Amino acid sequence: MDGNEDSGIFFEEDDHRAAYIFNADQPLSTQKQTPRPAKRRKVAKADAPRPHQDSSVELAFPPLFNGAEGSDAVRLRKQLYETAWPVLEDRIQHVLREANSNTLDEVTSFLQHAAEAETGKITAGFIITGPSIASQHLLFEQLGERLRTATRARFVRLRASEAPNLKAALKKIIQDATASGTDGEEVGDVEISHGGRKYLDYDLEALHVFLQQQQQQSPRVVVAFQDSEAFEGGLLTDLIALFHSWRDRIPFDLLFGIATSVELFQARLLKSTARQLYGAQFDVVQADSVLESVIKTAVAGSQAALRIGPSLLQSWVDRHRDQVAGIQVFISSLKYVYMCHFYADPLSVLLAGDGRLDRKLMQPEHIEAVRTLDSFKAQVEAAVEARQLNHAQSLLEDDDYLVAQILEQGQKRNEYLLRLLRSLHLVAATGLSSTSFTDLYILALSSGIDIDQSSGTVPLEDAVKRLRAEEFLSLINRLLMAVQTGSSDLGLDGWEPDAEELVGSLTDLRDEVDGLRERSKSNGTVLKSKYSAQSRVLRTTVVAQKVQLSQDTAIMTDEDKAFTKAVDALLDLLSENLNCGPIDNLFLHEAWVFDSKSPYRDVFVPCPDATFGRALSRPHDYLACACCAKANGGLASTLPTTAILYHLYLEAGALINVADLWSAYYALVGEESEPGLDERSALVCFYRGLAELRMMGFVKQSRKKADHVAKLKWLF
Amino acid sequence: MARKKTAREATALRPSRKREAPVDPYEVPDEGETPRRRRRLETTDSANGNMQERRNGAAEDAQTAVETTPAKRRGRPPKSAAAGTPMAQATTPSAKRPRSLAETPVKVDGLDTPSRRNIADRSARRKSARALIDRVMGGTVSEDEVEEGDIAREIYESSEAEEEGQEGQEEAQEPTAPSKSPGRKRRAAARKRSPTPPRDLPPHEQYFYQNKPGLAKTSNNTLSSLDLLTHDEYFSVLRQLKDPHAADVNFLQNLHAESFAQWAFELSQGFSTCLYGYGSKRRLLHSFATYLSSQNPHHKVVIVNGYVRTLTARDILSTLTAAFPSPLTSNSSGGGGVGLNPSTTLQTLLTHLSTTSSSSGLTILVNSVDFPALRKPALQSLLSRLAAHSRIHLACTADTPNFPLLWDAGLRASFNFLFHDCTTFAPYGPCELEVVDEVHELLGRKSRRAGGKEGVAFVLRSLPENARALFRLLVGEVLVAMEEEQGGRGVGGGGRGGEEVAVEYKMVYNKAVEEFICSSEMAFRTLLKEFHDHQIITSHKDSIGTELLSLPFRKEELESILEELMS
Repeated sequence: MDGNEDSGIFFEEDDHRAAYIFNADQPLSTQKQTPRPAKRRKVAKADAPRPHQDSSVELAFPPLFNGAEGSDAVRLRKQLYETAWPVLEDRIQHVLREANSNTLDEVTSFLQHAAEAETGKITAGFIITGPSIASQHLLFEQLGERLRTATRARFVRLRASEAPNLKAALKKIIQDATASGTDGEEVGDVEISHGGRKYLDYDLEALHVFLQQQQQQSPRVVVAFQDSEAFEGGLLTDLIALFHSWRDRIPFDLLFGIATSVELFQARLLKSTARQLYGAQFDVVQADSVLESVIKTAVAGSQAALRIGPSLLQSWVDRHRDQVAGIQVFISSLKYVYMCHFYADPLSVLLAGDGRLDRKLMQPEHIEAVRTLDSFKAQVEAAVEARQLNHAQSLLEDDDYLVAQILEQGQKRNEYLLRLLRSLHLVAATGLSSTSFTDLYILALSSGIDIDQSSGTVPLEDAVKRLRAEEFLSLINRLLMAVQTGSSDLGLDGWEPDAEELVGSLTDLRDEVDGLRERSKSNGTVLKSKYSAQSRVLRTTVVAQKVQLSQDTAIMTDEDKAFTKAVDALLDLLSENLNCGPIDNLFLHEAWVFDSKSPYRDVFVPCPDATFGRALSRPHDYLACACCAKANGGLASTLPTTAILYHLYLEAGALINVADLWSAYYALVGEESEPGLDERSALVCFYRGLAELRMMGFVKQSRKKADHVAKLKWLF
Repeated sequence: MARKKTAREATALRPSRKREAPVDPYEVPDEGETPRRRRRLETTDSANGNMQERRNGAAEDAQTAVETTPAKRRGRPPKSAAAGTPMAQATTPSAKRPRSLAETPVKVDGLDTPSRRNIADRSARRKSARALIDRVMGGTVSEDEVEEGDIAREIYESSEAEEEGQEGQEEAQEPTAPSKSPGRKRRAAARKRSPTPPRDLPPHEQYFYQNKPGLAKTSNNTLSSLDLLTHDEYFSVLRQLKDPHAADVNFLQNLHAESFAQWAFELSQGFSTCLYGYGSKRRLLHSFATYLSSQNPHHKVVIVNGYVRTLTARDILSTLTAAFPSPLTSNSSGGGGVGLNPSTTLQTLLTHLSTTSSSSGLTILVNSVDFPALRKPALQSLLSRLAAHSRIHLACTADTPNFPLLWDAGLRASFNFLFHDCTTFAPYGPCELEVVDEVHELLGRKSRRAGGKEGVAFVLRSLPENARALFRLLVGEVLVAMEEEQGGRGVGGGGRGGEEVAVEYKMVYNKAVEEFICSSEMAFRTLLKEFHDHQIITSHKDSIGTELLSLPFRKEELESILEELMS
């Protein structure tokens, strides 16, 4: 307490200032001594062998293994992070820009065309953005940039919160329209005067004069209502009417960001106002498809160094769908997982390939850590079961052998990933599966890919069997194409040289079936396999005045039989190639798969109510003090004051008598009890507790009765 | 003064009228249709009679009450019994009922304290009390009778609850006092509503349970016997107080301090961090600032104290421009201050940051981002724009559990927050939480003011002569009003401050004109505005819209202020 009070008094001057520049040279020594040694204690060990740390301005990662991690390993982790993430970030940004580019082009060309056509109305673009405001932000930013460069228009973005009324809206429009052109040059000097007169800052005349002074070829003013649903209907109507009346002097164009639908939006405007608009509707790419392409690029793509585990990815996708969290949140989550992995997991060094990882780097601690992994256990058990006892023993006892194994894993990982992505790509190329790529990817990671009809994760068997000859050919063509070109989204190059066998068999099949088709065509029959529906014919025969239904297998020609064989061959080929195990079958997958939900959930979806509630109801969880251990979530006189009051608060009803609260509190901590406070000290504590409860928004003043307060919080 | 009194009475009356309606729906399921109907009839019945009649008819009332009881004893179904007996009465009063309601609120003089409604209720209550007594005397209880008793008891109880809401002075005069305790005991048994609340309700159920009308019964104890703390006493006691958890709190803080490197890394990666949890995080953030500048001395750290009530966008921006003196700002607005428009200043600052090539960045640490000063949307969007800049990092602390409500999805995205649980249990410093003021405000005792008597003297010294004269006039008027009040009320309420006593705005204005303090209302208003700004007067409107002025000081303080002003 002494320390606290000292510090309270010490900082007094700065603490009462609203904002100040922190000055580290301040003589903080007096009270700073106390926390310092404690802080140093951990770092101290590591400080000695890391002389480079001070020299580098960049932040270095702290060494792990309680500081025992070698500096090279630490640096390597940091390097890995710094090479892994920026690549992805660039690609993601690229994807996002691409996603909006169509809309941007459309809007720009619409505005340009509308400017030329004389309609006598105000041009208005209605952009259906979907419900997430966060993604609107990016879109309108891009729109602003685009319009400024493409049409040299003045672009003003309005948000409902910035423009509560007509005056404020006009002010903002004039301010931004006059400022946007003068970015660097004469920012402070945008007041326009005309013949010594100064305009009011919400007078559109000022804008008019300004635009004339700019001496440009009729620069247009584009006003974008970012969240037009949030604007008051009356305000919009007023603004549109005003713009319309100024149309001959200032050429206004309007853009509306709409979350719902144009019809609903129009219903909020007056009919006369709506008639003044000449509009077109633009649809932004749906958030789901943006998410899918981001996942393809940044999560599934070959360039993603770190793999996101299936359950974590699923939870992100769910959150995106359910809570409209926005693509930005998804990207942040992804980034944070990268940060977590390389910052806090010492085994992340195993991700380093091409010789950066060597025996020297592997400390005993690393090897120890590897031996605690689940996948290590699984590996050893598998070895024992396969009667490779030597292998198992060496894994357990021989460090060098283990390191050699570890170093081999890099190659295996790459092979696995390549196989996974190629399989996925081929599955997508068949076009027979209706699951989205995201779901497919999650499924593949968690339980592998298998096209077997009954037990497989991606049951394609039936679909393949039912193919007709033409479809069969086009499927093979698609597959060949896929192998040849790969996928740019996934960062997958064509792998024709690697898959000579597959390509060879596919082309053989194609040629064969092609030949079969020609032959059956010349025979006048349709080529079919025994699986296809036409092969079974329902026959009705009338025998002795009775109708007999019989199902007959149609007579299979030789061509048909050959085609059936071809289908079977393709099926075998596919099940051989579209095959991949779940990701956690791999030895050491922990080093490059991140599948823990906890840091993500804590950091992005906090539950402050629960945190506050826990702190106050069970302070021992945080303080770990000897005195409150007995309380165990109950009321005890040794708890901090606010915690005691909080317990009493929970027991109380909607209206709390402060006098009774005080007497209950005093009875608990008063002279006879353990803390043994005298009345005035207890009152001081009580005051503090009560003030804190109020500050946290638990109680408010009640006028119903004297000295009563009202309860405000029920949900914890 | 008189006005003040009526205002208080009006508030006393309102709940009593309101309570009638909401009580019913919750009472119904217990007794079925009958009792409500009956009670209404009985109340309206007696609502017709005035005081005089009530005295005379008291015996008769008791008679009818008793008469109804035997009627029930015959075992008639309760519904028909209820409909049968008072049917004749029911038609007559219903016509007059609206009139009696309309009459109630127009009392201005406030002389006869018990309202008509009260009288009516009291007679109904007395009747039911008598019925109760009769039955206790009578002995045997049939099934019907239990229900009948419930009605009587309910009337008794409901009027009692209403009276609790009032001053409680009438309580003593009640003649029915002796019957109170048996009635209450029986009720608790009969209503099956146990005094201990049901345990382990889910939060929403708890809410509805606790907000059941009529349930909020609290005792009438007040803190009047307790000598409330003054600022001086609070601080002198606080200084001697030892926190038994100080060591643990320190330990917790050091635990958090170990994450400094992690936070710094997160900040450097373009995230903002938000530290939340119970306890003051001011010291933690300060240590974090120390850590940051020890890591990179060229990195500027600006601390914004959200708990400072007067914090504005200007404060933040001017500090930021001072941290990054750019040629543009110093040119346009001279001396590095903030120009006319915060948004242009911000724009300048941001462009300056993006164009300069120096490697140093800026970290903004915001204390208590969810305190009132920073709750304005404009400030939050300012912060978010700052945080969105790649060279500016932002870390903030949040002290209330509701802080996520501050940001919508858009703001959240541009802040790019990471949240960390930083429960510190550290006590809030005097700069963050003005404990005494907060508590007194909570209790409705006093509001903030300019540091007591000395503060007023200081403020007045800086004001022109006529302002001082006006304040002297005001103090004099309030003191006179206080004298009158005390004379009228006797000994009670001596401890109440000047805020309880108000003087009429119009009257003060007239006097001010008479004494040549000001010549127009405009000037008068300007003078008052000055007082308002320093929080040395408060004003409010009473129920009929008269503007009242009052001074938030005790009588003794006012006296010494007046002395000082006169000297």
